Amino acid sequence: MNDQNENSVMFGLLKQGYQTVFMKNWPIWLGGLLIGIMSVITFAWARPWGVAGGLRNWGDWFFNLVGIYHHQPVSPLISTNSILTLGLLWGAFGAALMSKQFAIRMAPPLELIKGVVGGTLMGIGAAMAGGCNVGGFYSALSALSFGGLAMMVGLFVGAYLGLRYIYWELEHLPSGASGGSGAKKKKNAFNWLDVEPYLGVAVFIIAIICAWLYTRQALTKIGGLLLCGIAFGVIIQRCRFCFVRGFRDPFMTGEGEVARAIAISLMISILGFAALKWTGLRGEEVYVTQTFWFGSLVGGIVFGFGMLLSGGCGSGSVWRAGEGQVKLIIAVICFCLSTSLFKALIKSSEGFTSLIGSRVFLPNYLSYKWALVVLFLVLCAYYLIATWNEETDKFIVEI
Amino acid sequence: MVDDITPDETLDCRGLSCPMPLLKTKKAVGKMSSGQIIEILGTDPGTKNDLPGFATKNGHEYLGEKEDDGFTRFYLKLK
Repeated sequence: MNDQNENSVMFGLLKQGYQTVFMKNWPIWLGGLLIGIMSVITFAWARPWGVAGGLRNWGDWFFNLVGIYHHQPVSPLISTNSILTLGLLWGAFGAALMSKQFAIRMAPPLELIKGVVGGTLMGIGAAMAGGCNVGGFYSALSALSFGGLAMMVGLFVGAYLGLRYIYWELEHLPSGASGGSGAKKKKNAFNWLDVEPYLGVAVFIIAIICAWLYTRQALTKIGGLLLCGIAFGVIIQRCRFCFVRGFRDPFMTGEGEVARAIAISLMISILGFAALKWTGLRGEEVYVTQTFWFGSLVGGIVFGFGMLLSGGCGSGSVWRAGEGQVKLIIAVICFCLSTSLFKALIKSSEGFTSLIGSRVFLPNYLSYKWALVVLFLVLCAYYLIATWNEETDKFIVEI
Repeated sequence: MVDDITPDETLDCRGLSCPMPLLKTKKAVGKMSSGQIIEILGTDPGTKNDLPGFATKNGHEYLGEKEDDGFTRFYLKLK
């Protein structure tokens, strides 16, 4: 084989690889698997994965800037919370560009209002539950916190109520007429879509340079977390992985695909966290949120209702915002502001703080062994019931 | 193959995001009769996964999709 031929074979392989990674969506179960693995890697590197904490940091920073808060928050540039969420947004933005899916997508007025209300409610719920569907549920459950289970129950209740509202809206509110779709293309106009993959490559190269710059500033940990966040963003955007679907779909379409992926993902993550905590490599109290049970349960309900309105969970709203959806960009901004304010409110009152709850670390009550057994049983039940519902449609709420 | 389809109904979901296009489709399909074809206009990339999934689960035939000027047209044939 001559050189030219070999080169074209290589080029063909690269092209095929690009198409597989960025032109087709990845299966949901793969997303669950990869999120589970990344969750453990992120904790082993520095700390558990979270989303709402970063949004709160941005809200705190904004309120400090306009003079409402007098204490200065940790700079968003070095706060680990902020960097993880920034990475998620960055990764989703890059992946959307690579797959030619980035576009500023305007939504009809009613949808924008739902973005405002949904984002605000999610912010309040996350402040109560010690995190969104990630920090308050996914990472908390991985961290063997009982609060994670309480929030799971709350999320189901909230998602159910939210779905009832959406059905009501479909019947009673003039269905949001088309908000039109992005810019209308003119003939012979410059086609942005063709350039997007090149911009995507640039976006990722800049990310790597930033991580390297952090290392130069002796902030290697932060730089690594930025890359972890970006990995979450790419995985989640390519799978269109949305936790809302794990809680809403069993009632809406009966599909259990996402519920199964979340169950598998959590099993991986729980094992990794348990290994890191049990061996003493990481503190036992990490991500055992001080929210059991009131904060987790009620926060879960409020958050669950909000995520149905905005059409994205904490992580889901952020990646969709990275894809250019105006409704979700608005939801994320409202999330930042409301979660910052509500957290300040909770902190300002001792009574409120104690009402929210206390830390309950499962192994303190059950031992590590039995805590793992119990959590695995719960997740197996989630997996099986979602699959059973897929066959029987038992939980479906009809329009 | 999707070029010469004449739909019985057209549902405009442009600008809407998950789960609204799917729910509106579900509602519209409920009012149509067997064998009819519905065309759905959408801008949310998620719809490309949701609609075929919805069709498979409910026994409708997913006829395909085509790109238009900044949006996608999807076709479903009801069972």
